[in-house]
Amino acid sequence: MVSQLLVAAVVGLGIGACLQKGRFCFVNAFRDLFAYKDTRVTKGVIAAVLVTMVFWGTAYQFGYFQGFWTPGWGLTGLVGGFVFGIGMTYAGACASGTLYRAGEGYVQYWLTLLFMGVGYVAFVVAFPTLQSTYFASLTFGEGVSLFEISPVPAGLLAIGVAVVATLVYATVLGRQYSGNERATAASARPATIVGTPIVGLQRLAAGTRAYFAGVRQAWANPVAASKRPWDPRSAALGISVFALIWFTTVSIVGVTGPEARWSGYVLSLAGVDAGSFTYWGSVLFRGAGVGVTVDMVMIAFLVLGSALAAYWSGDFSLRMPRKRRLPNAVLGGFAMGAGSRLAPGCNIGNIYSGLAELSVHSFIATVGIVAGVYVMTHWIYREVGCAI
Amino acid sequence: MPSIDDVVDSPDELDDETAQELYENADRTQDMMGEVCPYPQVEAKKGLQDLESGDLLVQETDHVPCTENVPKAVGDDAEATVWRSGDGVYRIYLRKN
Repeated sequence: MVSQLLVAAVVGLGIGACLQKGRFCFVNAFRDLFAYKDTRVTKGVIAAVLVTMVFWGTAYQFGYFQGFWTPGWGLTGLVGGFVFGIGMTYAGACASGTLYRAGEGYVQYWLTLLFMGVGYVAFVVAFPTLQSTYFASLTFGEGVSLFEISPVPAGLLAIGVAVVATLVYATVLGRQYSGNERATAASARPATIVGTPIVGLQRLAAGTRAYFAGVRQAWANPVAASKRPWDPRSAALGISVFALIWFTTVSIVGVTGPEARWSGYVLSLAGVDAGSFTYWGSVLFRGAGVGVTVDMVMIAFLVLGSALAAYWSGDFSLRMPRKRRLPNAVLGGFAMGAGSRLAPGCNIGNIYSGLAELSVHSFIATVGIVAGVYVMTHWIYREVGCAI
Repeated sequence: MPSIDDVVDSPDELDDETAQELYENADRTQDMMGEVCPYPQVEAKKGLQDLESGDLLVQETDHVPCTENVPKAVGDDAEATVWRSGDGVYRIYLRKN
């Protein structure tokens, strides 16, 4: 138990610091892609998912794991994911973003967290009804990770998926680059099925070389570099390493699950018999009684890790929200809290951990979340227009 | 050979003195303290619309990600530089192209 608490502290501090230094924000990753085709953070998210997938697949193949998180699959992922995506775009931060900004001193995101809590409580109260109606009719099958059912060893499968994803990305990159070149230099190089990914791979290799040149330059003066903002890809690598430690000792990385446990625990301290509610008692705490679990400790340390990193970088300050942004915290937070339970899972559980563990449910939930971000981004940008 | 600027494309930073001088002579300032993404991005795009070429729009914000994504959002509409106070306040300088 003590060793698990130590792991929770190290992993929480590490992930919190990486999120803060990389401004690792899943809203940013998709919203800015749709609004003005900025892929800087999107690349960081994709890198984190692919690296973690290879780490976890390999660890699973050799037996170094505690278990996957695979809820039943169906339309709940699409519905709950959509509500969550709308909520996080309106709130201006995803589940992990809310935590790391709470650590940076944003009172706005303390409020968002509070109303995520209200969302969890509302869900818990409605759960018995939702279970017999919503979940019963929209869940189609048992949850599964492709790692568990694939005849190919998990490590190889993960590498295969990563290679395919890289090739697809290279093709998109190659097409973009060839398109730009044609537009500017009028050097009409015919785009071919083979040629386009090769151009893309060359661009990818050039980008990677430039990235490592940047890392080398940063190493020359590590103290100054540690205070500067990091490339999201560096943050992605850091997060993947801490997530591997977590996977081999505790579980996959989740945020809203532990938060929903916190909501039950805090209410139990206030005298509410949280354990008597089905969702807290049997689902979240699995009949073990309402108390502090190791993943709850981890996300508390995540906030602390972000606060320390922000303080070190000169980014920490107590920031007061604007009155006109209160609806974003209240409604956005509530939609995130409720949506994350309806799916179930948030951006970390589904997009990061869920895709990395190749969970069928998370494929569907990711589509739901990204669709929610798309719709909400278009609404917020309605006066100036979106690129995609 | 790709340059480091291909990946680290955050805007150039201003020193304290230049930042203050430019701020005092800005054609438009927007108070974005307490705001969250993406409202400063939308306000910057709207604020630039009726400025003349060469005019300066300055946003003052306490939201860290804005120093990168506001310049990205306005794209070719303006040249961007930023100033970091070191205690959680930032200014984004957008010179309209």
